[in-house]
Amino acid sequence: MTDRRRNLFILLFVAGLLVLSGLVIATKPTVLGLDLKGGVSLVYQAKPTKQAQVTSESVDQTIDIMRKRIDTLGVAEPEIQRTGADQIDVSLPNVTNADQAAAQVGKTAQLYFYDWETNVLGPGCKPDPTNAAVTGGSSAGSGQGALTQYAAVELAASCPKTDTGKETTTGSYYLVNNKTEKVLAGPQETKADLNAEITTKKIAQGADTEIVEVRPGTIVVQAEGPAKGKGSDQYYVLKDSPALSGTDITDPKQSFANGAGGSGAPTVNFSFTDKGVKVWQETTREIAQRGQDNFFGGDARSAFQHFAIVLDGKLISAPYIDFQQNPDGIDGTNGSEISGGFTIKTAQELANLLKTGALPIKLDLISASSVSASLGKQALDQGIIAGLIGFALVSLFLLIVYRLLGLIAIGALGVYAAFLFAIVKLIPITLTLPGIAGLILTIGVAADANIVIFERVKEEVRLGRSIPVAISQGYRKGLSAIIDANVVTFMVAFILFMLATAGVKGFAFTLGVGTLVSFLTAVLLTQAVLGTLARSKAVSSPAMLGTHSTRQRFRWDFMGASKWFFSFSGVILLIGALAVGVNGLNLGIDFTSGTRLVAELPTKATEQQVRDTIAPLGLSKAKIQKLSGNEFKGEAAFQISTDTVEAGQRAEVEAALNKEFGSGSYSFETIGPTFGKTVADSAIIAIIASLIVISAYIALRFEWRYAVPVLVALGHDLLITAGVYALLGLEVTTATVAALLTILGYSLYDTIIVFDRVRENVPRMPRATFSQILNRSMSEVLMRSLATSFCTVLPILALLFFGGETLADFALALVVGVISGTYSSIFIATPVLMHWKEGEGVWRSRRARIAAANGGVVPPYATAAGGAATEVELDEPKKPRGRLTAPEDPERAVSGAEFDEMVRDLHDDPGVVATEDAPIEADVAEEVIVEDAEPVEPPAASSGADAQPEDLVLKDEPAKPATPRRKRNKKHGRR
Amino acid sequence: MAALAWVMMGLAIWHFAIFIPDRFWGGIVGSLLCAIVGAVIIGLIFSGFSVPGNATISVLNAVEAIPGALLGLAAAYAIGVRRGNPALHL
Repeated sequence: MTDRRRNLFILLFVAGLLVLSGLVIATKPTVLGLDLKGGVSLVYQAKPTKQAQVTSESVDQTIDIMRKRIDTLGVAEPEIQRTGADQIDVSLPNVTNADQAAAQVGKTAQLYFYDWETNVLGPGCKPDPTNAAVTGGSSAGSGQGALTQYAAVELAASCPKTDTGKETTTGSYYLVNNKTEKVLAGPQETKADLNAEITTKKIAQGADTEIVEVRPGTIVVQAEGPAKGKGSDQYYVLKDSPALSGTDITDPKQSFANGAGGSGAPTVNFSFTDKGVKVWQETTREIAQRGQDNFFGGDARSAFQHFAIVLDGKLISAPYIDFQQNPDGIDGTNGSEISGGFTIKTAQELANLLKTGALPIKLDLISASSVSASLGKQALDQGIIAGLIGFALVSLFLLIVYRLLGLIAIGALGVYAAFLFAIVKLIPITLTLPGIAGLILTIGVAADANIVIFERVKEEVRLGRSIPVAISQGYRKGLSAIIDANVVTFMVAFILFMLATAGVKGFAFTLGVGTLVSFLTAVLLTQAVLGTLARSKAVSSPAMLGTHSTRQRFRWDFMGASKWFFSFSGVILLIGALAVGVNGLNLGIDFTSGTRLVAELPTKATEQQVRDTIAPLGLSKAKIQKLSGNEFKGEAAFQISTDTVEAGQRAEVEAALNKEFGSGSYSFETIGPTFGKTVADSAIIAIIASLIVISAYIALRFEWRYAVPVLVALGHDLLITAGVYALLGLEVTTATVAALLTILGYSLYDTIIVFDRVRENVPRMPRATFSQILNRSMSEVLMRSLATSFCTVLPILALLFFGGETLADFALALVVGVISGTYSSIFIATPVLMHWKEGEGVWRSRRARIAAANGGVVPPYATAAGGAATEVELDEPKKPRGRLTAPEDPERAVSGAEFDEMVRDLHDDPGVVATEDAPIEADVAEEVIVEDAEPVEPPAASSGADAQPEDLVLKDEPAKPATPRRKRNKKHGRR
Repeated sequence: MAALAWVMMGLAIWHFAIFIPDRFWGGIVGSLLCAIVGAVIIGLIFSGFSVPGNATISVLNAVEAIPGALLGLAAAYAIGVRRGNPALHL
């Protein structure tokens, strides 16, 4: 296929895709995440129960039940997905009451029916059915005869373990204070869970505290009735031997007690399964008969016996069985009802829970957040504005610097944006705020690829090539750097996607997809357009490409000055280390766990006023920060960060603020310690995995010694960013982790651009020291490196200033990281490479030779007599490789000067000594035929012999002789 | 958190080693490793083999890594000299 046809094909292909993209954009809806449209996000961690272990099946079954429960809430487009082995993410759009949603969706809803009197335990762990002081008598379950929680736990802990097969738990753990006789934490099913709760609640343990285990076979239940609810300290100890469970009932529904003598109060009615009917009849018969046995005349109600309904460890109700009406028990064929101080709403909720069934495993809510719809819309608007401004800034930059090339690049960016948006809609990708940040950042990635190529084209023009040739060469030579950089960015995005938590996944996905799409538009499309225009008048003048045909190159001794730049970095890191020591890092609740409440208030308020309002609620130590972004409605907005507060306490905070400042709007986020640890662990793993993968790739594409300076530079960037965070006290969140990983990718982009040119120049400069090669490479790519970094910073600045409060810290981390990345690529990675390579025998001897030839000083740039460059052109196919000068005699394959220099090279080499009897076969002369020379075996690689251009060609340019190697006579040259 | 401060301090001190003619064991990369390892080890020793967390870290934790980094560099240099590494003047 000719170039013209190929270009035409690409243009038609892109045009077709553009039309399809337009259709997709016009017809498909954009799926917005909760942070952009408002709603509730819940993250649960699954824990095993007596009934089931946490397995793939039990988690799937749980998700199914949760989905049914959400359906009963009437939530449109909910998302429930498993994260890792034991976490479940639930997203409920447009739901405002997170607490109610959490109560409905994640409640285990284990329902059990107990024969009350025979199971309530008294002193000595013995049931005492006739003792009202134990059972509560006719007021069973309502608090009479109840114990304090401490006393109940102590009693239960003294009971022996049983193994009848009917136990509903595997035991439970509590933390008690024996001095104050209070239960401080629990119940939890394992000691580890209890310790996690102790950590979350920041409970100090001492000599008076003790962890108490209640063994299987005994449970502690909170009393129902008037004392139920907040502040209740009335508990009973039950033998854990239920008669029926929630699986024995069917068709539960909310109803009213409208029967004879009914109060009209809301109830939950249900039917029994066949097995349930039978067991129900037997159980109630036993209860009725026991009542009959205990009746000795008088008021029969005093002898009524009870059964208890326990839901998730709480007593729902303890109704009595009238032995006079039901001497043979209650016929379960007509079902039964649960009454117990329900409101219509709570009765409906219980009916729904029973209808969908109990969860097979226990779910701990480890993270909950709620975003108001208005805040979400503001965030979306600001994200779009930041994106448009970022696009405009990048476009302006491209137009000013690259003129016509820039115009083509802007068109490619437009196509890129259309493709990416269509993909986002087509898959569909749930667009979150971090996802939008990812999209905006990829504008920089796409533009960077163009800059790399355009700078190369300009360079070729300056070298005197015609514009069509310059364009062709520019794309050919720039491609390897773009591929390397894009592969690395994609790999970082992939690792981030695989390992990061949900919020960051959106960012990683859009970054990864954007990197792939940008390759299509920034390389293939622009090449096709330029290839088509190459011979037109539009690009006939170098000025149209933003360059001049005169050769101009910025020359500066980068490597000589590197000491001072090293020192500068050292000082910054020193300050950063001291800042970490003084301030530590301001870890957000993503890592430390806690609750963050955003309050938008309708009246003006100060931080002190807010503190005074919430201090009486036990939140005097809360961190209160005034928010100033435009996305917050009302007169004042505050972020209140505290230790984890329960739903009830949060409601109290909101009520107090409403009372003081008027009815406000609230969003919150609660992160449990488990989730925080998951986030921190995944962040560390993601960073380490990225570094390993990046190192492996660099070692593969360049040389393993190139990977070490890259790692040093990356470490430098990450630590400087961490130092800036410590110095400024910025909050470290999951978004910061995403920013750090993005910094890895971008820092590498710059370093690869520099190293790519080094890789190219090493074989071209066979008579230069490594520092001279680096200086030369730096002078060639400095503008390119600065331009790509500047172009990357532009959309980030748009994010910083227009992306809203939420993305500001994220953008700031990126700005610091990208600037540090550019700096480290030039002044850290490259000098480290120089130091390491110059220490190798090959380069050390070459350096010594050049220094000796220049009065002990190595010039910053390699120049021959008269100031000419000393490089060779390797990409001229007709020119023999390795030739430095033309031979005086065309019959000879090497010039005299060239031969003399080769001999000098070999005599400089301590590992090879030429003798009269055994002249040296110069490696230099592998392609230079010296007919009279007697060859000897080449010196070992470790001998320190000077390397030749072919030896220094790196892996992607295999060094093969242009002519077949002459077969050696191994006998020659040997004694 | 103190580990972060120690590594940062080790890296910071290593930057100034560029003024010394390179006779380090393992060259510039060897000196980097030794500076960081030295900073961490001395930091650990000063902290009683525990790593102070974010709440308990102090400026002393960062400062105490300085002698560690210097000792690490000195050790790398001494090993380099002992092995006969020629000085690399750049």
